[in-house]
Amino acid sequence: MSPRSSRIRNIFEPLEKSLIAKLWQDRFGIPGPAFAGCKFFRKARSIWAISDVDLPRLSYETIGMRIMSCKDRPWKPTTSALQIFGRYATKNLLHLNREEAVIFLEGGSQGIESDCEIGYVVVFYRGDVLGCGLYSHGKLVSQIPKERRMASIARSEDCPV
Amino acid sequence: MDYLDRYREIVPDYVAFQAIQCQPLYNSARINTLKITREKLLERLEEEGVLFQSFHWYPLGLKLDIESPGKLLENLLGYIHIQEELSMVPPLVLGPEPGESILDLCASPGSKTTEISQMMENRGLVIANEPSLARVAPLRSNCERLGVLNVAVTRYDGRNFPRGPFDRVLVDAPCSSEGRERRGPGVLSRCSPERSLDLQVLQIDLLKNALRLTKPGGVVVYSTCTYAPEENELVVQAALGEADEFRLEKVCIPGLLECPGITEWNGKRLSDELSCTARYYPHINDTGGFYVAKIIKN
Ligand SMILES: C[S@@+](CC[C@H](N)C(=O)[O-])C[C@H]1O[C@@H](n2cnc3c(N)ncnc32)[C@H](O)[C@@H]1O
Repeated sequence: MSPRSSRIRNIFEPLEKSLIAKLWQDRFGIPGPAFAGCKFFRKARSIWAISDVDLPRLSYETIGMRIMSCKDRPWKPTTSALQIFGRYATKNLLHLNREEAVIFLEGGSQGIESDCEIGYVVVFYRGDVLGCGLYSHGKLVSQIPKERRMASIARSEDCPV
Repeated sequence: MDYLDRYREIVPDYVAFQAIQCQPLYNSARINTLKITREKLLERLEEEGVLFQSFHWYPLGLKLDIESPGKLLENLLGYIHIQEELSMVPPLVLGPEPGESILDLCASPGSKTTEISQMMENRGLVIANEPSLARVAPLRSNCERLGVLNVAVTRYDGRNFPRGPFDRVLVDAPCSSEGRERRGPGVLSRCSPERSLDLQVLQIDLLKNALRLTKPGGVVVYSTCTYAPEENELVVQAALGEADEFRLEKVCIPGLLECPGITEWNGKRLSDELSCTARYYPHINDTGGFYVAKIIKN
């Protein structure tokens, strides 16, 4: 094997799809076929998903989408990944009302009643997946990355029709 | 603005061209079909009272009558991407198909990368190359927000991107950006023929490497958002050389008026074939400015 390909393997290591599918199935009840057409790689403590193609031998900065972090326990899904795969979730999901959604999108914490298990949850508003939240003991902490937070979604009231 | 005088001979209705430079450009966005359908998106905007108008030449393009479209929830959720109208043209000319392998040689911030990805329905592979570390961050964040799964990012100097071959390669080259004056007034004050000639050296090398990395029968699109022939026709002519390994195909987007690439500059004849390439001027379609060439490798 050429030095270049072994270098890729040291950086992005291929992962079994079934391994990843099981984690998402266990936490969110997302069925395996949601990941059809993807393959997975691990780099350091992050896991990446990309369309199922052969990758040319190059030195990569990223491969597809960063879908989860295994830095801490439990593993944490990214907001981007939940916006794609989260709509298939059947458990550990929360539906917010408008006021709650605003707080969540601003990156805030709030009290929410829910029967979700402690840990990361898929957060919905009016059918859209907003992203990842951390739920424990009646409190929801937004995990929306800083650059994707919003000052306000109340714009329709602001603009004169 | 006097700088534009050098284009007096090549731009039709030069007075209107000059006059429109100080009219700001409306905001525009592309609907991201990786995450939402056009129908649903339009319904949402209507519901929220956002005023918009579809481009007459591209159903996924929207003019948005709103001050900060970046703040729309639809943008944060990746249902739309704020993008200049003409910036949507080069991917359409490239014509990627689901399952193909595509190289976007100068990719950040990824407006065209993500458009290519959506045309491919998240299948196949797009290599988005961007050497500048600082510019990799916006490229990545746009891909993530827009739900792109078929893009891998590399950081080569495009002149030395090592291996292909690819079905199609886009070279959306670093350029003097004269066509962006309506968006960022003052752009023109930084332009000069010397600067264009400096950029030309880089642009020729980028395009030559792109041609090398393309499969026989494959397509290379070269685009800039500038008017300077030094960075446009002269680059294409130099990169293609004399050999008949490559040919130019006519660039034409129905509903959008293009002017043919020029075949004479500063008293020097250029290849007649260059009239297949397209110049888009701001006063003709009420847009910015762009240049697009489509090259086929025989
Ligand atoms: C016009 S911009 C690309 C815009 C992008 N295609 C889009 O649609 O969002 C040109 C890019 O080329 C990059 N660039 C500069 N020198 C380069 C080189 N030698 N090889 C490849 N890319 C380069 C710049 O950093 C810049 O991000």
